[in-house]
Amino acid sequence: MKYSEITIRFCGIAGDGIVASGKIFAGACANIGLHVMVNNIYSAEIRGMGKSSATIRFSTSKLYSMGDGLDLLVGMEAKESIIDLRDVKEEGNVFYDTSTIGDVEEEDSLVSHITPEMQGHGLPIQKLANEATGTNQGKNLVTIGAICYFYSLPPEMFVDQIRSVFAHKGEHVIDVNIKAFNLGYEYFKEHYPLNNQFEFDKTSEPMALTSGNDAIAKGALDCGLKFYAGYPITPATKIMEIAAKELPKLGGWTLQMEDEIAAIGAVLGAWFAGKRAMTATSGPGLSLMCEMINLSVMAEIPTVIVNVQRGGPSTGLPTKVEQGDLNIALYGGAGDSPRVVMAPTDSEECYSGIQLAFDIAEKYQTPVIFLSDLFLGQRIETVTIKENIDRDRCTRKKPTSEQLEDFQRYQITDDGVSPLIVPGKPGAVFSTTGLEHSIKGNPNYEEEVHSMMTAKRFRKFESIVEDLPHAVILGDETADIGIAGWGSTIGSILEGMELAREQGVKTKLIKSIMIHPQRENLFRKFFASCKKIIVPEMNYQGQYAALLKSRYGIKPIEIHIPAVNPVSPLKIAQKIMEANSELSQ
Amino acid sequence: MSFLSKQSVIDGLNKAKASKTKEWRDNLPTWCPGCGHFTGLHGLYEAAEKLKIPPKDFVVVSGIGCSGRFPFFIKGFGLHGLHGRAIPIATGIKVASPELTVVVVGGDGDGVGIGGGHFPHAARSNFNLTYILLDNSIYGLTKGQVSPTSPMGMKSGTSPYGNIARPLNPTTLALAYGATFVARTFSRERDMVSELITRAIQHKGFSFVHDLSPCVVFNKDVTYNSLNDVTVKLPDEHDTLNRSNAMSLAESTEPVYQGLFFKEEIPSFDDHVKQVKDGLED
Repeated sequence: MKYSEITIRFCGIAGDGIVASGKIFAGACANIGLHVMVNNIYSAEIRGMGKSSATIRFSTSKLYSMGDGLDLLVGMEAKESIIDLRDVKEEGNVFYDTSTIGDVEEEDSLVSHITPEMQGHGLPIQKLANEATGTNQGKNLVTIGAICYFYSLPPEMFVDQIRSVFAHKGEHVIDVNIKAFNLGYEYFKEHYPLNNQFEFDKTSEPMALTSGNDAIAKGALDCGLKFYAGYPITPATKIMEIAAKELPKLGGWTLQMEDEIAAIGAVLGAWFAGKRAMTATSGPGLSLMCEMINLSVMAEIPTVIVNVQRGGPSTGLPTKVEQGDLNIALYGGAGDSPRVVMAPTDSEECYSGIQLAFDIAEKYQTPVIFLSDLFLGQRIETVTIKENIDRDRCTRKKPTSEQLEDFQRYQITDDGVSPLIVPGKPGAVFSTTGLEHSIKGNPNYEEEVHSMMTAKRFRKFESIVEDLPHAVILGDETADIGIAGWGSTIGSILEGMELAREQGVKTKLIKSIMIHPQRENLFRKFFASCKKIIVPEMNYQGQYAALLKSRYGIKPIEIHIPAVNPVSPLKIAQKIMEANSELSQ
Repeated sequence: MSFLSKQSVIDGLNKAKASKTKEWRDNLPTWCPGCGHFTGLHGLYEAAEKLKIPPKDFVVVSGIGCSGRFPFFIKGFGLHGLHGRAIPIATGIKVASPELTVVVVGGDGDGVGIGGGHFPHAARSNFNLTYILLDNSIYGLTKGQVSPTSPMGMKSGTSPYGNIARPLNPTTLALAYGATFVARTFSRERDMVSELITRAIQHKGFSFVHDLSPCVVFNKDVTYNSLNDVTVKLPDEHDTLNRSNAMSLAESTEPVYQGLFFKEEIPSFDDHVKQVKDGLED
């Protein structure tokens, strides 16, 4: 068979080198110019027999999601792999370990569960690993060697990668891992005929690899981040670790605080002092931050909060994805409390979007909540990062010398934005407060003042729209079926649309990083041109659909997936087909 | 305690307007006449004047409560934030801009009640902040409920049968948390309050001033008179480098000592940060 795209899963338990397999595979693919996306799934427990899997999808063309189904399941451990057999495509392949078959009852062995629709291929994974490394390590490299031969991939792509991944561990480790790789390769060459061919352009340029979390951290550092305060939480911690390492080199600093309230408090303090600052958290942390978000709104102190969503509510599912924090991002907190909510749809938007978040926060003196999610945050993918971002598009509104003479921190203006000064500079001083206040910032509870100030705080959101990127419409503009989505679900939607197109059904998609505020005219025009509107998202309530319904008065077909895994493109395609058959009735 | 006459208030204001600290005075305080907090505020004015802190570099951060209003009465930058969260906000300001003088002002409910989780970490990190805790052993702004420093047995709106919990002692907490400057003052002693606040701001590292600052309206148990009976100055021979000795003196309730309990010169947070950054440049 000839392939231009393959999906492989390594399935085992913690300690099998699963994560390393994904890393080696991703690096090897990126180096030879293939598009690749890797999704690691692991349990919330660090030790013990926790399941660990790495799914690697690589292709000659751009990937938007993890797709559906596996071309190959590599069973490093029988019990967990048996469960994952359900994900193997028809005619798909399974590698199983022949050296451990006798260790378990027949019904517990992987090979006994392989159905006639699949093709099983045995190899002595553990035995070959022992032979290469003298330990139980190296099982992953044995299977990578076998895969390399199985799909007739060039061995150098992996050998080079092994050298670079294990470079810090010394020559011996590199040698034994290459040996393990070669043993797997040779075993397959000896025992199986070469039936498959992955075809690709061997002259492609290498591609950059990133995760969403890495892209957010890099984007923030590249646009002047000077201070980070946070509290460790899965799946956002990586952003803090990068900030902790890089900020001191750039004249900044990272503080690990005692809780998320302190983290966002310190971030507000740093912004008050005039420095770009951020924190990153997940649902439980965002819950704790709501009162500080209110203070940011009331005192008009800029803030950037990244929320890498995981399954909820409460401690929920720390290592599983869900888009359940839209409501708290939009509405969490007391009073009339407007804030900007953004949701990047892929790693490239994590990089550019976080920079927009900083610019909006600074210009409009508002909290910006940047909603990523576990899948987007942790998956590794090949990207083309555009670094030519206009640094002057948004600037802090500074007072004129006249305004400084009788400085009014909360001066009423047409766009709602008042001049802002920071400590340490001569000119004027002011005090601010979370209490309702006068134009000077002094506490004031008069009805006219409260109405005027509330209106001013909301007026900023009309002004922000001017600085927002336009939503984009993808797919076929003449289609009757329109889809609106947000965040990482967009990737699955795009692939679902492609599957529908292959069945002759045209669709279009409106995609925007902005959840609130939005350029509403574009959305209205888009919805008006649709006969059916579909809104898929990874939560039970349909939180984005609820927002769109109240904002635009639409009645969409909602797809609510309280997710633990990224959304299946096939599921989206099925809904599109259903909508299409309703249309033609 | 009787309230002050109208004339004495006017006289006081006129005196204030002419005072040498006028450069740091802003809005007139809104506290009840006789409130202990006037002394703390006066102390901060005097410290700012003595140390010639330019208002543009002076940042006062407060929480919520009667003490929370400090920023509005001081010419400088001010942030009246959230209940209990003044310390983390101040931390962000100071770490982002170490050249600023940052003073945190809070009350007993604010500092060892709702915000009690932040105090130890600021102290152990030795952030270069000054924290003034104005302790009136009552929730005054909500009109009289027991606080974490109220004595056992104290009756209040929310403890009608008497306070069952034992009071916290903020001075001993600061010592236990590793603060590098720990003092206790009583708002009846204006000069001592001013002097110790000044020295606290001068200190490089986390400095803590526990100011006993009676509420003359809602607290009938902890009063000027009751404190007057028990407060004494620390013995002259007290060694301010001896933390455990400071701890046992700070624990004493009869008498209640005032003065500088502890002071040590060790690298502050800013010094450590500088060291890390200098190392990266090599």
